[in-house]
Order: sequence, then structure tokens, then C-alpha cells
Amino acid sequence: MGPKPIASPVPESWYPALSVLMVAIGLVVTASFFIYEATSSRRNRSLAKELTTGALASFFLGFGSLFLLLASGVYV
Amino acid sequence: MAPPTIGARLTPAVSIFALLSLLVVALPSAQEVQIINAERRIDLTSHIIRVFLTLKVESIGTAAVSEILLAFPPTEADHLALIKVQAAVGKRKKRAYVPLEVNPTEVPDAPNGTKYFTISLLNPLKSGEAATLEVLYILTHSLEPFPAEISQSESQSVYYRDSALLLSPYHVKQQMTFIKTPSTKVESFTTVEPTNRASTELKYGPYEDRTPYSYSPIIVHFQNNNPFAVVEELVREVEISHWGSLHITEHYSLLHAGARHKGIFSRVEYQSRPSFSGVSSIKRLLARLPPRVHSVYYRDEIGNISSSHLRTDVQKSELEIEPRYPLFGGWKATFVIGYGLPLQDFLFESPDGRRYLNFSFGCPFVETVVDKLTIKVVLPEGSKDPSAVVPFPVEQRLEKKYSYLDVVGRTVLVLEKKNVVPEHNTPFQVYYTFNPIFMLAEPIMLASAFFLIFMACVAYLNIDISIRK
Repeated sequence: MGPKPIASPVPESWYPALSVLMVAIGLVVTASFFIYEATSSRRNRSLAKELTTGALASFFLGFGSLFLLLASGVYV
Repeated sequence: MAPPTIGARLTPAVSIFALLSLLVVALPSAQEVQIINAERRIDLTSHIIRVFLTLKVESIGTAAVSEILLAFPPTEADHLALIKVQAAVGKRKKRAYVPLEVNPTEVPDAPNGTKYFTISLLNPLKSGEAATLEVLYILTHSLEPFPAEISQSESQSVYYRDSALLLSPYHVKQQMTFIKTPSTKVESFTTVEPTNRASTELKYGPYEDRTPYSYSPIIVHFQNNNPFAVVEELVREVEISHWGSLHITEHYSLLHAGARHKGIFSRVEYQSRPSFSGVSSIKRLLARLPPRVHSVYYRDEIGNISSSHLRTDVQKSELEIEPRYPLFGGWKATFVIGYGLPLQDFLFESPDGRRYLNFSFGCPFVETVVDKLTIKVVLPEGSKDPSAVVPFPVEQRLEKKYSYLDVVGRTVLVLEKKNVVPEHNTPFQVYYTFNPIFMLAEPIMLASAFFLIFMACVAYLNIDISIRK
């Protein structure tokens, strides 16, 4: 029982799959955000809905781009 | 000129020691310790000189002796890269070796600038007791090429200067010295009776009853065609990324430190007669890397160098590189080698909660001397309190480096050492504290950048800046 090795919190083999999945979901939510902006008039817009959609999209895109960087070899 | 006789200096020396002993524990003088048997085996097969010295010391004074002095001439002491001492414990089958602490010491009234090292014994030697010590010391840059300049088709011959008698502050009752040369081609050697030569081994001795500080200079002129590969400066950067990889970048300045090359270099002659032309040139170098190495590159300022081979194994990886041109005496080459390693092989958690990197010090190339080695360990952002545990003395300092997605910068622990030999390739540890929550800093930074873009869109689409209502 030697010293305890430290590894990444997310298994490395998951990086490519995780990056594709998260960036795809992020782009879908981004699309939904812009569709909402385009189809609703200024009077009917709800700021809460815009903010939540934006936050969700940026969360998925942020994590997805991190895993994309890791999967392509740039270990940040 | 005969060395100063110890008898005339003994009386004032004894009184000085008596005075000093009131203030501080005096180092044992020739009256307290004598060496019963000294056997020196000098290995000259490479350009790094390894000397194995077996001493049997006996305490002859009245007080218990806990320290033994080792003396070196000043030129040897300057080129000393490593000194290790072991004490032999137990007899025959139960023999074990215990490492002892060796420290450089200053001794007042050292004759002719002699430098000293003190060996601290485990158990003090009482009067009449004897102990066997095994000393290994390594010298670099101590073979002088003679002739100093050779052409492409000549062999390299070097001088080795030493003493047939062991330089010691104690009486030596019996001593022998064996010198091993790389081949049977020995041009000349100084004879100090009795001297013998048998194929690759020169034997000086046995010499009986020699006084302290007796010195008999000898010169051995022999042929040594081993590549004198010296790395003038090596900067190794180890970058730790907690997302799973260790990346190492090494910058080398390689020099051939043997007999300087004179005349022309004929590539035709070099390639057509390899056993005759350029026998002492550096054709290739072998580096031993850890297993599971990936993304290895070898390039210099011009670009990638393709003359390299990587052989991986379960237990080790071997990288064999050929410089763009063979190196003759005085020629230099600079290049960069980089590779990646999996994090879980090198980063561990210590029992007190800190993390530590366990990595090997030194140059991965075999049989090379490094004049100045700098290791920079780049710790991830958010690491605190770095400290290094190295088995030998190094200079430490801290720096800052800005890399991918950095806000406050990464702490870099810099370790520097001069005169490094392959025996220094031992693991060292760098401890630091890191809160795992800091790993979220990077994705959150990326996510907030995207969020800012979305908010800018919301603001642009919702704010009414038209003048007309």
C-alpha cells in the first residue's frame, strides 16, 4: 500500500466525449436563447427567462470549452 | 619540496588543540586516529572519475572518536561532484551498509590549502576499536586531454594526475591504489615503487607506514575515447496540471569537453571509416525516461530534428538522439527536448493533507556531466507554501509564471545545482498545499466570459436608444 496517487477529478478517457456533449448542449441552449430573442417583441420579453437561458448556455459552453481544451492536449 | 614534517609542528599543534578542546570538540588529530588499511580503486573508464576508497580506521587515543576527517588537495576538492560514505556493519553474510553523514569542514592551519570533509560515525570509536568505512567520491573535469588538439583521425589521450599515496591527516599503516583504464593503451605512467601493470589495471603499492599528509604525485597518460559529453547548461521545466498531466521541457547546451578538434572535418572519411575516424566524437546520446511517456519532441532553433528513436517499455522508456552533426572536441549543440507524463505516476497525497510531486533530479542522459542544472517546478494556480526536499544541497528560489487561463500567476519553485553527475538521478519531492475547489476556477472563468457575451446581447436587444418615439 504505497502513497496515494492524485489523478484528475474527471477520468481522462471521458474528456473528448464530455466536451462534445457539453458543447452540443450549450449550442442548443444558445440557439433557444436567440430564437426567443428573435420571436418575441420587446413588450413581451421576460428578463428572467433571458437571464436563465443565458446562464445555462454559458455554463455548458464554459465547461464544454474547458474539456475541449483538455481533450486537444492543452492541459490548462 | 618535501611536505612539512609533522614532528616539528606537533608540539604547537597539540597545545592549540588542547586550547581549542576547551571551547569546542576538536577534530581528531593524528594522535587519536590511524588508518590501518586503505584501498583505493580509481575507475577511469569514463570521463567521470569514480573513486572507491575502503578505509579501516582505528582509534589509538584515549578519548572516543566520533568524527573522521577526509582530506583532498584543493584542485580535487573543486571538481568533487559527489561524496558518499557507508559504514560496513556485521560480518560476512550479515553484512549491511549504513550511510553516514559527510559534511565539508574548515580546519585551521590546513597545509597547502587542503580541503576537508568530516564523516560522522554512528557509534563513537572507543580506544582500540576499528571500523571499516566505504567512501565513494566522484570527480568531474579532471582528465586533461594531451595532446590538447587532435585531428579527426587521431585517438584521444588524457592525463590523470593524482598521488600514489593517500592524502590523509592520519598515519596510514598500509595502503594500495588500483587504477583501471578503459583500454590497454597506456602511453606512460609514473612509477613509485612498487608499481605494477596488468592489462587495464595499474597497481600502486602496497606502501607501509606513511606519515600524515604524505603525497607522491603521479601522472597516468592513457587513451580514452569515451565521448566527453558535458551539458554546460540544462534548464528543466516541470509543469504540473491537476487535470491529469505533467509536461516537461528541457533546454540543453551540449559541449564536447575532450581534446579540441583541429584541421578540417571530412564527412566522407568520417562515414567511410567509423572505427578509425572520429572515434572520440559524440555520435548519439541515450536518455532514460520514465515509462508511459508521450508526445516526445526533439527540436532546436532551426526546427524539428528527426534523427531520434524512442523505445518504450513497461518499466522505462529510452530516447536515443543524434545531434544534427557529430560533436568533435570543443564543438557545441543546443536543443530542446519535451515530453508528457501521466500525473498519477508522480503526484501523491502526503499523510498531512499536502500534495507532493515525486520526480527525479538530474539529467536523463547517461554518462553526462551537467555544469549547471536548473529545475523549475511550475505549480498550478492556487497552490500555496511550496517547499522542496532534496537529498543533497541545492539553491532554491521562487518565481512567477503566467500560462493558460492564469489570473494571479503560477508559483515556480526553482532549484539550482552545479556539477551534476548521473549518480544525482535520485527522486526529490516538492510539497505544496492545494484546495481542490480551485480547480473550478478555470471553467467558471470560461463560463463567466460566455455569460458576459450573452448579457451584452440582452442589453443590446432590450435597450431602446432610438430618438424617435
